[in-house]
Amino acid sequence: MRQQYAWRSLVLAGILSFVGILIILQTFRIQNSPEAAVFRAQAAAYANVLQTYYPERGDIYDRSGHLLAGNKTVYEIGVDLQNATDKHAIALAVGVELGLNPDDLYNQMINPPAGLQYLVLADYVDADKAAALQQLKAATDAQNNSLAGLEFKPHPQRSYPEGSLASNVLGFVNREGRGYFGIEEKYNNLLAGNPVQVSVPTDPNKAFDLPHVPNGTTLVLTIDRDLQAAVEQILNDSLTKYGATNGTIVVMNPRNGEILALASSPQMDLNQFWNYGSIYHNASEFDRAVSMPYEPGSVIKILTMAAALDSGTTTPNATYLDTGALLVGGATIRNWNDQAWGVQDMTGCLENSLNVCLAMLSTKMGAQTFYGYMNRFGIGHLTGVDLAGEAAGRLKVPGDADWYPVDLATNAFGQGVSVTPIQLMMAASAVPDGGRMVTPHVLYAMVRDGRQYSVPTQYAGSPISADTASTLNQMLAVSLEREASSALVPGYRIAGKTGTAQIPDAYGYEDGVTNASFLGWGPVDDPQFMIYVWLEKPTASIWGSDTAAPTFAQVAQKTILLLNIPPDSVRKEIAKP
Amino acid sequence: MNIPNVNYTVHYVVHAYRQAPWRIQRQWIGTFMLIVLGLAMVASLYLDVTAQAALTGRTIQNLSYEISAGQQANADLETKIGELTSTYVMEQRAAALGYQPVTANQIQYVIVPGYTAPKPAILAAAPELKPSAPSILPEYTESLMDWFDQRLTPPPTTSLIGNSQ
Repeated sequence: MRQQYAWRSLVLAGILSFVGILIILQTFRIQNSPEAAVFRAQAAAYANVLQTYYPERGDIYDRSGHLLAGNKTVYEIGVDLQNATDKHAIALAVGVELGLNPDDLYNQMINPPAGLQYLVLADYVDADKAAALQQLKAATDAQNNSLAGLEFKPHPQRSYPEGSLASNVLGFVNREGRGYFGIEEKYNNLLAGNPVQVSVPTDPNKAFDLPHVPNGTTLVLTIDRDLQAAVEQILNDSLTKYGATNGTIVVMNPRNGEILALASSPQMDLNQFWNYGSIYHNASEFDRAVSMPYEPGSVIKILTMAAALDSGTTTPNATYLDTGALLVGGATIRNWNDQAWGVQDMTGCLENSLNVCLAMLSTKMGAQTFYGYMNRFGIGHLTGVDLAGEAAGRLKVPGDADWYPVDLATNAFGQGVSVTPIQLMMAASAVPDGGRMVTPHVLYAMVRDGRQYSVPTQYAGSPISADTASTLNQMLAVSLEREASSALVPGYRIAGKTGTAQIPDAYGYEDGVTNASFLGWGPVDDPQFMIYVWLEKPTASIWGSDTAAPTFAQVAQKTILLLNIPPDSVRKEIAKP
Repeated sequence: MNIPNVNYTVHYVVHAYRQAPWRIQRQWIGTFMLIVLGLAMVASLYLDVTAQAALTGRTIQNLSYEISAGQQANADLETKIGELTSTYVMEQRAAALGYQPVTANQIQYVIVPGYTAPKPAILAAAPELKPSAPSILPEYTESLMDWFDQRLTPPPTTSLIGNSQ
């Protein structure tokens, strides 16, 4: 009997063992089958997802640490159409809180595009308004849940706390996070930082290393916020006062090229960058100081005189008889008032802004020498200023198809040559800076990973000698004093030059409209600021001496106050041993 | 006395003892239970480690969200401060407090020995710590099999190739 049980047990155990072995074998077979490889590959493909971590865009500060561009959280407000139980209530709540038309919102919700489950009702909503709406939703959740389906998605947005201040310098960032114009475009890669892609396991139970995504580089600008505000105010007042269509004012330190203020009209509220198209007609209008070349007129006489002095073509005390006309290349060059000015020295040429005198000097120098100096001054070349959209202007030279011998004469007093204000500032910086030109720049320092990197001063060559620079510096100061220019600032010695230029059109030059300019610097013995003023088509007076020069004086006075520059007498007192 | 020549064969009685069947069964059951217990211990250890790893992963994720939320809040506050101290707002506040813009002839310059003019902003803080290696220990990421594999696999030998001075 026992033997029978034993056999049965053995048979049963054998069968079960056999089944067990079969199961194990089948498991091995399945695991090593071709299908298993496919499944494993699929599992591996879905095991991780590539996730991109975007760094926060770097901030922009002025030279004193005031925030000019930062980031803030805004909300996208949308509705999950499947979960929205009361679309009327949602339309009403969103419409009232955000100032939108509830009927429009409701129509959007009941007639969504085919296949759409999530509908965006509003984007770039301020945190305050979104919070109010969230509170309302929380209140209704406890009662009738009428706002079910309403969703809030936070995301960062560029913010400009100063609104339109320094807008022409900063540029703006669009909704896709790309910088346009000014600093935002020029340093877009630095500001935006480097997004990091990481393979993240989809299994929530798997831990993974979070990537270290450094924020975009923070930039510190050379701009002085208070001076910038004052300069923009003066520019806008001057445009109104003198009836000019547009204008530009730039304040730069001629010793190191730091741009302290740059105002160009019109300015725009950078927080509403979508209005760009209605404010500007083309890109060059955004920052006229660097993007819009124009015929500058007599301010370029600074460079012509510098070339003449440096090349030995003339000396400060050399005299000539001004007859009021000079024939060059078959064309007659005349002074601004069509008058003869008699015997003049070189300071008199600058003081009275005599076209004939400067044309005489350029022709005496010869094309090779004159254009050689213009080339060394950087006329017709980019300055390398760190602002987007810089234009090079145009300097025709012998050999160009459209160059004529008369151009040698007209170029000497700023006709037939186009420059940007920033170009002329760089060129003229050789005069107050001992013959050495500085490259204008807006970036003072970069802050990255907790370290600050300062931008060194860059020099753009020495087109003239230190002696020439010193001589011309004094000549320009004397010419303003003799003229009793309205550019003068009491207590401070200023050097500079006005410019009144006709505006070229397709047939020659427009009648009765001019570009009024003034380029000056001070204090003459220790130059700390250089100011360029350009007013387009002023109607109160066509002359730069009546419009741009007094505007320069206003800006100079404000600069002196804000930069704490003591009067010449005080500085001399301090300098005494 | 004659003693018959008898070949004596000595038979030793060998006492063979056999374990009682129930004792053998008990031993088998005991061994089996020991194996089961061992496996259960390993499984529970594995579960514990996996659960800890998952919890830590979750905690890290939550902390990272908190960090990014904190950074965003900082950026918001910074921008808010920027708005509250903007030129326009400060001018309005100054005017409301009775201040007026100073003019050149109202300024008196005084020589102050040792005074240095304000310099441009230095915004950089102390260098922040940069993680140079994965911050999550292998205990939180590797499985038990990985651990065994690491223990069984001999460490790679390193050969130094370089310039000798």
